[in-house]
Amino acid sequence: MEIPKKPVPIVNDWARPFWDAAKEQRLVIQKCKDCEKHIFYPRIACPHCSSDNVEWVDASGKGTVYSYTVVESNSPSAFLKDIPYVVAVVRLEEGVQMLSNVVGCEPGEVRCDMPVEVTFEKLDDEFTLPKFKPATR
Amino acid sequence: MSSLRGKVAIVGIGEVPTGRFPERAAIYHAIESARLAIKDAGISKDDIDFVMPTAALFSPQFNTELVTCRIIEEMGLKNARTNCQVFAGGSSGSCFLKLGGSLIQSGLAKYVLCVHADRLGSGVSLQGGIDLFSTAGISAEWEVPFGQHYSTIAALTTTRYQYETGCTDEHMAAVCVSNRKWAELNPNAIFRKPLTIEEVMASKMLSTPLRAKHSNMLFDGGSAFILTSAERARDITDKPVYLLGEGSRVTHFVFSQEPDITRFGWADAGRQAFEEAGLTPKDMDLAEIYDSYPIYQIIAMEELGFCERGKAGELHLKGETWPGGPLPTTTNGGMLSQGHTGAGGGIAILVETARQLMGKAGQRQVQGARFAVETCTGGTYMDAQVAVLGTEIP
Repeated sequence: MEIPKKPVPIVNDWARPFWDAAKEQRLVIQKCKDCEKHIFYPRIACPHCSSDNVEWVDASGKGTVYSYTVVESNSPSAFLKDIPYVVAVVRLEEGVQMLSNVVGCEPGEVRCDMPVEVTFEKLDDEFTLPKFKPATR
Repeated sequence: MSSLRGKVAIVGIGEVPTGRFPERAAIYHAIESARLAIKDAGISKDDIDFVMPTAALFSPQFNTELVTCRIIEEMGLKNARTNCQVFAGGSSGSCFLKLGGSLIQSGLAKYVLCVHADRLGSGVSLQGGIDLFSTAGISAEWEVPFGQHYSTIAALTTTRYQYETGCTDEHMAAVCVSNRKWAELNPNAIFRKPLTIEEVMASKMLSTPLRAKHSNMLFDGGSAFILTSAERARDITDKPVYLLGEGSRVTHFVFSQEPDITRFGWADAGRQAFEEAGLTPKDMDLAEIYDSYPIYQIIAMEELGFCERGKAGELHLKGETWPGGPLPTTTNGGMLSQGHTGAGGGIAILVETARQLMGKAGQRQVQGARFAVETCTGGTYMDAQVAVLGTEIP
């Protein structure tokens, strides 16, 4: 079977700064200037207080694995070559959650609540994906 | 609190066997299920004034036919006034109850035909099904690019739940075994051979700790039911299945945004439904739980209050949920054993709830069943939908 190309993010225009920053290997998230809560994924307005007074801030890139799984078979076609790969929900220090992959270690070494830090993987000329590796600290 | 308590009832049910029927057009499953439901209700097809199909996922062409009144024309429903699709993924069955019930309560409809048909078994390949469900209901910006799909979603929930509660792989397998015991007694189920914990635990690993036999499989199928007012129901049948309570809560769209992937909105939804019904989990003769993967049956039962957190696996392992046990659970075998038909999985479990309460469940009939709780959830478990139904209004 021919393996299709990896799906690229279908970008909402207000999230463009996130993807532009990722291309420069920076992880940015939004923060509400009114209620001061961090926001991920990017929104048109703050989902906590509805303010549209939101700004982009650098995230620490540090967090923990909330949950994870190692894909060993029956993945979507575009990911068959990546098996085994780790899908994880990561909780950033800023209190937001994101889905990503854990890389830079054996899949079997990943654990819940394991400290991780951001790393970047180029997907194509347009997109770089933020991924996570075991924390070095 | 809604005003539907004791005001609307299911009066007829229909269902075709789940399986792979490459020679059978999808419309067959819809029409045959609808015919069976009309016959079961003891009404004429021309009593139906509102047709509510849910969506079929295998073909946009077929789905458009459902939207544009094909069922009404094929069946010759002369007095049908409206055809309107109601679709909320796996929770479409709960939305049928709420929306169909509201139309009846308001006087806008007398007999609502709720119907589902899909061909995900013969109309889509195995890899095609995986690929379909690696985008359907999954965020194209924030999750699809990382290889998320329904096995990883169930696995992420299972991993964290096991980490927090100590629930084991054996407990997960016990859910599959329990549901299979019911399916052995269900002629419409696809998987009817006895299943053991060892077989589940030896099956192919998909996404750790989720194995092939923890996973639902996609098939062709259809089911239907008829809703009417409680008064009309009492005129035409001596076993109306009343809607007694309803509860629901939406907690996310993007799975990774869910603040607690080991609980979701079940506690809140369950509390609302039991409160409206004026009943408690202890009053339930049946727990008809949406089970696309074993972890979701476990979480829903605990959050609804059938046992303490971390203990539902044990209930299944000890056989309390089995035929003959004190808490008959998911008595059609669920999506794990009857088979997953898209939006139909959540409709089949509602049809089974009505079937049991009507006393029409054949070999798997739970004798004297009066009250049941039924759950559905859509997409990536984003909404918790709970209904309490019964043969009497307490």
